Amino acid sequence: MDDPYVTLGVARTATTDEIRAAFRKLAKKHHPDLNPGDAAAAERFKAISAAHELLSDPDKRARFDRGEIDATGAEKPPEQPFYRDFAQGGGRRYASAGGQPIDPEDLDELLAAFGARPRADGRDMHYALTVSFLDAAKGAQRRLTLPDGSTLDVTIPPGLEDGQVLRLRGKGTPARDAKGKPGDALIEVQVAPHPFFRREGKNIELDLPVTLKEAILGGKVTVPTIDGPVVMTLPANATGKRIRLKGRGIGGGDQYVVPKPVMPDADEPELAALLADWTPRHGRNPREGMS
Amino acid sequence: MATFEDVLTRFPDLDRIEVERWIAQRWVRPDPADGDGWVFEEIDIARVRLIRDLRRTCEVPPDVLPMMLSLLDQLYETRGRLDAVLRALVDQPETVREVVRKALS
Repeated sequence: MDDPYVTLGVARTATTDEIRAAFRKLAKKHHPDLNPGDAAAAERFKAISAAHELLSDPDKRARFDRGEIDATGAEKPPEQPFYRDFAQGGGRRYASAGGQPIDPEDLDELLAAFGARPRADGRDMHYALTVSFLDAAKGAQRRLTLPDGSTLDVTIPPGLEDGQVLRLRGKGTPARDAKGKPGDALIEVQVAPHPFFRREGKNIELDLPVTLKEAILGGKVTVPTIDGPVVMTLPANATGKRIRLKGRGIGGGDQYVVPKPVMPDADEPELAALLADWTPRHGRNPREGMS
Repeated sequence: MATFEDVLTRFPDLDRIEVERWIAQRWVRPDPADGDGWVFEEIDIARVRLIRDLRRTCEVPPDVLPMMLSLLDQLYETRGRLDAVLRALVDQPETVREVVRKALS
């Protein structure tokens, strides 16, 4: 069986939530009953279910990571049949069409016999891959190890969006005869969230912690961007503003910096003395909207 | 053929009330058993699995589920009809099949 991490397209360090999210996303796409014409969907769905089964159990996952069990160690007893195995022909209760129960693959064979679908072509193969926020923003090269041990070099284009599908022409299964074309590899890429950058299209948003003094007086501060730190002049009283760093986003986009004042960690007696004598010029009650 | 109890045994993550609700809403349509309860055929059990997968795994909201089931039923019905047409065509003489093949290409 395949490496469950590859099957779900998650890193070996992925959290339970990330694994669950990756499983849900793939399951929605590959559920066989939602893909009655795709014979391979059942195999894909079984593979992602088995991978999720293994990785969602902390004990089994740890044993797999330590090499104590292989991926098949977690496979479930025979699955319940899928609805599509009955629905098309014998679904008297749920549809009015008659006929004998048939295998969903038959229809595709019949269509192929009528030239509506080329039968000589190889199949498209589906893979999943998770990349870091920065790799998605800036572009990267990734090597995917396939279940058969071969590898696939994937170019992540700069500015790739979460859920985008990359098509590698001819990297699916080979053609079935000389007239056919090989299938494609379809790689659905998920973008992992970044601890402090957020993305709005081509723009990057960043909450920047600033001291109380910087928030009021302004000054030069070092700000992380996707291309490394830059020095920026924080204007005075910048709290609540969005400061634009032109061209620091993705592919010509901008970065927006939102200063977030952080209170001092310990007692500041001088500041307290100052505030005791201080009457604000703009003394709005910040809780006025709460009553 | 299976009883309600058999179905609940096969899907340990489903509870009785939930499946009863699906039957009441006619999402699953087993035959009534003699006396009390229901008789599930394989297609009904597969249907239970489908609804469970849609609700649990795919997180389809309950108010959207009837629409999805209706669309799926239409899809399968259409595939069934298409299959009947294609099967009829397969039995035709090669000249007829050739005409159809040309028209489709």
